Amino acid sequence: MKKLYILVAFFFFSAAPSLAGDFLSISGRLDLLGSGALESDSIRESPSLTGRVKIDLAPSKWRFHSWLEGGWDGSVKRPARDHSLLKSWDEVYQSNTPFLEFKELYAGFTTEALEIRAGIQRFAWGRLDEYPINDLLNPWDHTRFLRKSLEDRKIGVPSLSATLSRGDWTFDAVWVPILVPYRLPLPDERWFGASAISPLARMPGAEIIPREPDLPPRTVGNSAVALRMRHAGEIDWALNLFHGYDPRPVFKTTALVINPQAGKVLIDPGFVPDFHKITVIGLDAATVMGDWSLRSELGYTFGRPFNIRQELWGYPTQPAPGTFPLNPIGRKSDTLDYGVGADYRLFEDCVLTMQAQQTIIIEQEGALYDRKLETLLWANLKTGWMNQKIETNLNIAYNPEHGDGMTKVNVLYVFTDSWKAGTTAVFFTGPPQSLFGRFSGNDQVELELIYSW
Amino acid sequence: MNRKQLLTRQESRLNLPAAISTPPPPRQEGGRFFNVASLCKIVWKASVLFLTVILSAVTGHAMSGREVYEKVHEVRSKMLDRKTEVTMVLFDKGGGKRSRTLSEYCKRSVPEGYKVLVLFRSPPDLKDVGFLIHARTFAERDLWVYFPEYKRVRRIPTTSQDDSFFGSDFSYDDFGGPPNLDDYRFSIIKEEVLDGRPCYKVEVTPKVRRKYTRYIAWVAKELWVQLKIDYYQDKELYRTGAFKDIKVVDTIPTPFSLNVENRKTGHRTELTIESIRYHTNFTDELFTQRSLERSGR
Repeated sequence: MKKLYILVAFFFFSAAPSLAGDFLSISGRLDLLGSGALESDSIRESPSLTGRVKIDLAPSKWRFHSWLEGGWDGSVKRPARDHSLLKSWDEVYQSNTPFLEFKELYAGFTTEALEIRAGIQRFAWGRLDEYPINDLLNPWDHTRFLRKSLEDRKIGVPSLSATLSRGDWTFDAVWVPILVPYRLPLPDERWFGASAISPLARMPGAEIIPREPDLPPRTVGNSAVALRMRHAGEIDWALNLFHGYDPRPVFKTTALVINPQAGKVLIDPGFVPDFHKITVIGLDAATVMGDWSLRSELGYTFGRPFNIRQELWGYPTQPAPGTFPLNPIGRKSDTLDYGVGADYRLFEDCVLTMQAQQTIIIEQEGALYDRKLETLLWANLKTGWMNQKIETNLNIAYNPEHGDGMTKVNVLYVFTDSWKAGTTAVFFTGPPQSLFGRFSGNDQVELELIYSW
Repeated sequence: MNRKQLLTRQESRLNLPAAISTPPPPRQEGGRFFNVASLCKIVWKASVLFLTVILSAVTGHAMSGREVYEKVHEVRSKMLDRKTEVTMVLFDKGGGKRSRTLSEYCKRSVPEGYKVLVLFRSPPDLKDVGFLIHARTFAERDLWVYFPEYKRVRRIPTTSQDDSFFGSDFSYDDFGGPPNLDDYRFSIIKEEVLDGRPCYKVEVTPKVRRKYTRYIAWVAKELWVQLKIDYYQDKELYRTGAFKDIKVVDTIPTPFSLNVENRKTGHRTELTIESIRYHTNFTDELFTQRSLERSGR
């Protein structure tokens, strides 16, 4: 069956260009990625070969759209523990390669004013890049977390959406009937990063096997809904409402179990992914002032879940065989998130993008790692050279509260309309529990070859 | 103001003697045929006519540069309701080439504005990238760009209007409607024959800061389309445009082949109109951000 899926996917990829017609559009991309770790003691990643095929069929008012992705994922620890080919909506830890996944697969019906879509969809709400405050409908795939773009890390969710346009006004409504969980890497994979169980991983023969969570019952009451009202004008603005499970990962604790067995030490780390409903009311806006393109976003979250600092989780300082109950680690607080972003054209084909966003945790009682006020600063300098045959990007992110940050330098060369190649160097710094500092051992250089058609 | 009124206003601007030959005002109460204000007006118009005749005699041109461009503006305004399928080929100095295909939708909107939606159909990495213009007047525009990779519409400042349009030698401004004539100064340099067509060679100088300091255009008499444009940065020629294969479609003269070259880099872009349809009368729904996100579908 697995071979059949691969054969079908291969057929679509190779035969698709000849199938394209007036109302049928097919395109795709193959991506070969290799990375070299700059830290000698970090977990390695194998080369990846991934492909995507997008099919659009638009006869009359109906539209069919499919985005199939698949291939060999180098971030998965070999041999893969999970041998299923299709990505699942039931599991958080999915260590499967090769894999196939529908990022999008929906049918739509469009009239001049109304569009209804049903199927697997990804949404992009809000205005900010990287961490948009009101973009909550899709959970993220964290398996290569900061090495994937925001849109690439979004997992498509089964949903029903309606968009109604009247002049400058647009109204959106989305219903996601079942919870699709976020995805996390396994502890022995490169992008798991530093965590409370890092000392356990250093035990000789340690094999850490995290437990899958029991997902909340998939009832109508547990479904997610989102509403948005947009207005286009001198200032484009939108009012957003989301009610559903928080797409950001948090955990609950059980008990740490260290069990030596036949030369191995099997470890249940004692924490499992947890899911909590939140309600978010938000506002976003964008406008142009002189040479500046400005955007902003704001969101008030009711009951956002957090975890306390990892040193309070109750892990033993000297790991030994046995069972160790852990402390409750969950807290809840309302939060206020806001941010502003700006694009400024320095010269032709050179744009500086800046963004600052802050989170105020209303009830920070001291046990959280996050401070009452958390700040994230981003800057990106994108420059095109030789009529955009060469593109360079310098990206810097910094959190002043914890002093963690990320620097990324990328160069991309366009050989032809179909072939591109690029290289990226990425560096992380900061304390182990911080957003970027978790990956401070993951500095790396990447080479990428892209073929698209 | 409706289209008919607009055209009437433009026609009256184009035809100065006609303005002077308007019938005299009706006799005022009290028996005076001329009041002082209307007398001054007539004296002023006569002076303008006299000066125009004298200047024409000196320069030898029947029209001023501004009048030539009012004609060009009129033709370009007629082009505003259209759908165009375009192929754009980018040539490197070294001989490498890249191709893009685009669909362009335009709509005239009241009173003097227009809307434009440009959508890339190929190459694959630009497919469904879109560019939307809402021009409230010929001088005031809002611009948005959509990249499917980010799934987000971005507003872009109009100061980017002279930047390269997605790596080509065309600018964003080249995909807009006719410019606001009040933002330029025009002067006819001479009359010249180009590609077998008699032309006015006109120097056009922007009043506001642009990437170019001036351009010299060859405008075909009778057709009122530009056949060639040389763009200068001070005294240095930096960009040239040649517009060929002119066909009349629905009474509108249309260049089907446009070749723009950057003289500094040697990079060149050939744009070919594969098909064009005028008087399309698209609905406003085609020119929304939602339509931009959905690639016009």
